[in-house]
Order: sequence, then C-alpha cells, then structure tokens
Amino acid sequence: MSVKAQVRKIHDYLYEIPPQGRMRVPARLFVDERALRELTEQSSQEWNALEQLKNVATLPGIQKAAMAMADIHPGYGFPIGGVAAFDPKEGVISVAGVGFDINCGVRCLRTTLFRKDLEGKEERLADTMYQVIPAGLGSTGELKLSTKEIDQVLREGAHYVVGLGYGRADDLTYIEETGRLPDADPSVVSTTAKQRQLAQVGTLGSGNHYVEVQVVDQVYDAEAAEAYGLELGQIVIMLHTGSRALGHQIGTDYLPFLDKATKKYGIEVPDRELVCAPIESPEGRQYYRAVMAGANCAFANRQVLAHLVREAFWKALQVPDTAIETLYEVAHNTVKFEVHEVDEERRRLLVHRKGSTRAFGPGRPELPERYRAVGQPVLVGGTMGTASYILRGTELGMRETFGTALHGAGRAKSRRAAKKAYPADEIVRRLREQGVIVRAHGKASISEEAPGAYKDVDHVVDVMCNAGIVARVARLRPIICLKG
Amino acid sequence: MPYEYLEHQADIGLEATGATVEEALRDGVTGLLNLLVDVETVEPREEVTVQASAEDAGALFVSLLNAVLATIDLRGMFFREFRITRAEQVNGRWIAEGVLAGEPIDLSRHAVEIEVKAATYGGFLAEQTDRGWRFRCILDI
Repeated sequence: MSVKAQVRKIHDYLYEIPPQGRMRVPARLFVDERALRELTEQSSQEWNALEQLKNVATLPGIQKAAMAMADIHPGYGFPIGGVAAFDPKEGVISVAGVGFDINCGVRCLRTTLFRKDLEGKEERLADTMYQVIPAGLGSTGELKLSTKEIDQVLREGAHYVVGLGYGRADDLTYIEETGRLPDADPSVVSTTAKQRQLAQVGTLGSGNHYVEVQVVDQVYDAEAAEAYGLELGQIVIMLHTGSRALGHQIGTDYLPFLDKATKKYGIEVPDRELVCAPIESPEGRQYYRAVMAGANCAFANRQVLAHLVREAFWKALQVPDTAIETLYEVAHNTVKFEVHEVDEERRRLLVHRKGSTRAFGPGRPELPERYRAVGQPVLVGGTMGTASYILRGTELGMRETFGTALHGAGRAKSRRAAKKAYPADEIVRRLREQGVIVRAHGKASISEEAPGAYKDVDHVVDVMCNAGIVARVARLRPIICLKG
Repeated sequence: MPYEYLEHQADIGLEATGATVEEALRDGVTGLLNLLVDVETVEPREEVTVQASAEDAGALFVSLLNAVLATIDLRGMFFREFRITRAEQVNGRWIAEGVLAGEPIDLSRHAVEIEVKAATYGGFLAEQTDRGWRFRCILDI
C-alpha cells in the first residue's frame, strides 16, 4: 500500500498513519494538506521523514504516538521535528532521539532599545559582533578551561560560567531547567570529549547556528507580550547553538556503546541509527547521565555567548549589560523525564525531542513565575531573511504533543542544491536590499542557509497555531545576522 | 568516483567505494576532509596518526570518520591528505590506522567550508561486492 493510502485525516492540521507492521503506536503529523502531499511525494526517496517517523513508532515502550511537528524533514534515525515519549519501565533511550548536538537550543534576549536607537549604527554593531563572537569551523573561545573546569561545566551548566562572571544570576531564572540539569555525570564522558571542548565553550559553530539582532514587527497577544516584556519596535537578540564538540563526541562515543546494548537486549531496530538501550538498564542510565552532562555544556555555552552579545552591544553602542535581559532559553535536541497526562493518568515519561521545542502550557510548575499564567515562551527561529516567532505553549499542546512544538522553518532544499541555487555574494546583496546585514565566517554557510533553502516559516507557524498546539505572541524581523 | 556526496534534505550523505577496505576508508576520509575546508589552502606540513576500531567494517568507516573529526579539534589542525596504513580484522574486531597530513588552523589562510558535527549510523551501508567495498553514512551538519 502506498504511503498516501495509509494516511488518515484527523482534522485539517493533523494526519495519522495507523500502526502497521512493527509499529506499536500510530505516527502523527501536525501538517496541512500541502505539506502532507510533499512528504508523501518524498517517501520514494531513500532517506525520507515519513519512513523515519514510522520507524520511531516501532521502538519499545513508546506512548500514544510518534509525532512530528509542521517543520518535519529527514534527519538520521528520528526525523527532525519529532517527539517521542517512553514509559520508563518498558521504554528505551536512543542516541538518534537527541542527536549529536545535545541540547542545541535558542536563547532570546530582550533589550530596552527600539529600532530607531540602531538607525545608522547597524554596520558598526555587525562588525563588532563579528569580532567579539567566535564562530565557524576552527574558531576558539576566549574562555580556555582545564579538564577539571570542564567537569564543573558538565555538572553545573550555566551556573558555573555565571560564577566566572559570564552573565548574571537573573539570566538563570529564564533558562529551561534554570540552565542546569541534575543527574549529569562527568565520569561517563570521555577524555576525548572533554579535551575537544577545552577551547570551544563560548563558540557559535557553523551550519544553521546564528546570532541575530531582530525587531518586534507584530504583536498578536497583548497579555502574553506584556508578561514576556515585548513591545512593537523593540530590539531583541536570538542566538542558536548547542553543546559543540563535547556533545558531538558524546554522541559519537555512545553510538557503538548503544549498538552493543541493542544487540544485548535483543531490541530490533529498523535503522541502525536507532540504536538504544532500555531506560532502566545500566547502559541506558549511563547514556542518560552522559547526555545530561552534554546538555549542561550547551547551557554554559549559550550563557557565555549571551555575555559576548552584551559585550558587543557595549563596545559598539555603549549599551550597558543591564539593558539586555534574558527573555527565555529553550532547547530542541533533548531527552528528559517529565510528568504528563496519558489516558487521564499522570505519568512520568522519558520525552525525546529531536528538532522540536518544549512548549509547556499555562500553570506548569517548571515555568518561571512571571510566565506561568500565560504559558512558556516558544522560540521559533526563521532564516537569515525571514521572520522568527515568539509563541506560547497551550493546554491543548500539553494533551496532544507532550507539550511540544516546532523549532524552526524546517529545511526544504538539500545543502548541495542550495549551494548551487544561491551564490553567497548574491544572497548577501539581496538581504542587504531587504535591510538585513549578514556577516559570516564561511561562504558555504550563507549559500546553504539561504532563506530559499527553508520552508516558509510563516506558513509552518500558521499550521501549528491553527492546530492549537501553540499560540502567536510576536513576530520578529531580522536586522543583523551573524553566521559561522 | 571513489567518494560521492549524496543528497539529504538537511545533512549530507557520504559514500566511498574501493577495491579493498583500505581504499574505501581512505576515500571516505578524503571526502570528509574536502567537505570541511578547501584543502588546496592547507599545506601538508605535519603528520598525525589516527586510529579507529569497531565491531564490523561498516562501523569502522563511521568510527574512522569520527576519529578524524576529533583529531581536528584535539590538534587544532586542518588536514589536506590522508594515507591509510592499516585496516584489518584482529580477533574479530576491525582496526584501522592512517596518517593525516596538514597544519595548525590559520583562519586568515584556510578557506573553511562547513562544520561536520559527526558521522552517524543513519543511511548506514557496508557491503562487499565482486568489485570491492562500499561504505555509506549520513554526516550530521
């Protein structure tokens, strides 16, 4: 039976593939008809997102459904835009459900500046950001750590670098998990992983990572915008990066480790990248403790970068650091224990989010007090030339997707196709005409990350909002974009 | 073509073929090096040994690519060439060794392309045919 024939429509923005073959639960997609058509057309390709989502549905202990958000596209093992929750007793933990960039995420900083305050100063600010913020392959950070200090980073996350003077204690309140996950164990992280990171704390990386200066150009929800401290015309900064080489090496080290465990526990996986271990097995617990350490590294990394953004604003415009506050930070490559309601029962589940963002609704105790009544800020990064969004989590999202939403526009074109179609110089010129200044360390990251290489972010956000999983708060337009 | 980049919507597939395991591994690493940086801008002034081991030949391919990525960070160097010196099965375990030639990273001279986070088991393929070996995996970008 063709994939198209397998799909059942639940409503205009939700489709389902009922369990078949070794699938234990359905595969559910928060997409519209057009996106579904594209996905089914791509299902003849060897590496396609629908097949990957169906594969996730075969994993032991998976609850309710293997789900994909509107920005779904192929990954490795799991599709990007995927979420899967597992029963702690029967379920598994998987490398592919987190990815190699452990706890990759977005920090949003709000400023007391407005668009007019930057007029005529954009170039100066862009140049200073380019000098101050290390980015691109081969770059190193100003913070050089010893292996002992790296262990502190892995245990304490953002808290450790705040102690070193990077940023302020009030930043921590507005980071998911306050920037430090418990259960992190540096002793299960290899020396190679730690040594690779000695000079990489406070570096941006390359690929789709960026720092963007943006202006609020639409406010949709006055109450939530007030809670988030957002106004029309206000300048905000978004930064997107992860756990750098340390996270990559944890993934690399644990891939063969979990490959062995998969065989040991007799788990059948349809794709070798889906290697996993029972959550409560020694192997599963060890990988979990390593991932928590990797996640803390990402928290620390973004904290140092937030400090560098403040430094750039001070150097270029003499804006004091107190004028730049953390609005929120939330990650999209994670695995965490969370309490969710399943079949009217509150249960502790292990939730994998691969290229999808936690999007908790109002009232959740995990949220900072200031945002608890309106729901969690959900940060959706666009591309260099298009809008980004600040959304909020909803009660429906809690029930339907384990409090999860989209994380970005989602890629539409391969890197090679984008490189051919979008010469870097032309992209920079065209964006300049649109009022966006781009600074990049490698030309490849401009071509490969060109706006045309991605889906239409406005449309993808519409789908998730129409499905009721998230609600719009504000739209942001880019002014300056710094790439690796 | 000894190595080939394969279309993937978000990442990049890498396939390497060779008459022997050694050749296929060598060409896979060469493909990886060419993705990271314009190798013409890197001088082969220093040599560094790299090693990898795995349970099977396909996992060895992934493991060797990851060992090369780690070496770049650990040494702070970019590499232009790779020479394989050993690839064999010892007591049921596959082992590879080779020599990378390059120089310390100098961002004023080296034309960087894109960072590869890791070689994954995604798109995994390892097969021995009449003509030799073929390895394949998805690189996380």
